Amino acid sequence: MKRILFERTGGLTGRKVSLDLDLDQLPPDQARTLSLLLEQADFFNLPADLVPPSARDAFIYTLTLEAEMQVHTIRFGDTTAPNALRPLLEDLSQRARARRV
Amino acid sequence: MVQQPSIYCILPPHLLREIAQRGTPLQRERALQTIQAAEQVRARRRLARELAGLMAAVPGGGKQRFVYDAREGTTLPGALIRKEGDPPVSDAAVNEAYDGSGVTYDLFYEAYGRNSLDNNGLDLKSTVHYEKGYDNAFWDGQQMVYGDGDEDLPASERLFNRFTIALDIIGHELTHGVTQFEANLAYWDQAGALNESFSDVYGSLVKQYQRRQTAQQADWIIGEGLLTANVKGVGLRSMKQPGSAYDDPILGKDPQPGHMKDYVTTVEDNGGVHINSGIPNRAFYVTAMEIGGFAWEKTGLIWYKTLTNKLTDRSTFQEAANLTFEAAGELFGKNSLEQNAVKTGWAEVGITIGSQAPTGCLTSLLAYLGLTTQARGQSK
Repeated sequence: MKRILFERTGGLTGRKVSLDLDLDQLPPDQARTLSLLLEQADFFNLPADLVPPSARDAFIYTLTLEAEMQVHTIRFGDTTAPNALRPLLEDLSQRARARRV
Repeated sequence: MVQQPSIYCILPPHLLREIAQRGTPLQRERALQTIQAAEQVRARRRLARELAGLMAAVPGGGKQRFVYDAREGTTLPGALIRKEGDPPVSDAAVNEAYDGSGVTYDLFYEAYGRNSLDNNGLDLKSTVHYEKGYDNAFWDGQQMVYGDGDEDLPASERLFNRFTIALDIIGHELTHGVTQFEANLAYWDQAGALNESFSDVYGSLVKQYQRRQTAQQADWIIGEGLLTANVKGVGLRSMKQPGSAYDDPILGKDPQPGHMKDYVTTVEDNGGVHINSGIPNRAFYVTAMEIGGFAWEKTGLIWYKTLTNKLTDRSTFQEAANLTFEAAGELFGKNSLEQNAVKTGWAEVGITIGSQAPTGCLTSLLAYLGLTTQARGQSK
């Protein structure tokens, strides 16, 4: 089982959006894409705290992955998101905004 | 901008005219040059006033704008599209960022004599088209960044338009720069909510200044035009009636309180910095209405003096109330209409001038847990 918890807080509006995705429950092609994006980002080896100190109104993201006895949570801001994570971030942000799940 | 000869600062125009007629050849030449330069300055100021309503790009005291395009990426600042003095381009977001930062510069320069964010002519850099589907704008510590809203979603699902569309949002982001160079208010709890409130205050004042609206005429809405027609709301926040800007099935209800009795205790949003800012926002609104006229002139000046000379990074609402009261006394006299207006403004939101400052939620919680806010600040 693989589960992604995504939360976006802060921003100019202060509005929180979040997602709780069970990859087993998603259409297989979507689950494959997300798994691939996580793999490409080398998620379990990303540093846990990457919140930028001086940004104002920027989003703060909290992303947790639960998979095969491993759990890892990372926090980062718009300007400190690891580049390898950007495609996944874009995908999750769009899902959260569109409330498609 | 034309540099005024120093003689212009000392001698009144009638004396200069005397010298131009009766002085030695060298004195006459200098006096004539000075009169011409002063006339140019006056002409430029006249022009600036006339064009302010059109958000025209008028050279001010060191105004230097640069607008970049991130082309839906996240690399900052991106490709330079328009710099100071360049004509408008075909991209509306670029022009809005350019014009909006210009009006913001003009307000701070004309009303408070401030030369850019650092009062030393700092370049005003803006990046538009940040990321794809980025429904936000932010100040990264050095520049403004604007997203295009929900442009990547089907039209029927979009909540936000592009973020440069609202002039007060541009003013809001730039004011984060001013605050950073002045009181440098922390970004959590009450200091953070004050940081947010100062950005809303001058964001709104930039809009009022551009529209030449009095406090009575202004709508005191932050982010007008930012929400799409799909949303039931008029903007992001209301300084006049915090909590009334939107009430929508998707977006939810505007969570801002307008009184201390409704102060929101939360650990989200850095202790609710975008939520509890409704309280000092309303205090400013009430004060401005009590004083009347153009809010940027007197009320804006009181708040400006407080931000630049009195507040510190950990200031609370109570301290802000006491210090705006003190600033009003220094500017307009003790027991003046203006100072009493400040007192009324804070009283309306449940804060009595001179009372003891309470601590914020996160501060109390962290103190309870044996973790000081100092430790938290260092960990960030």
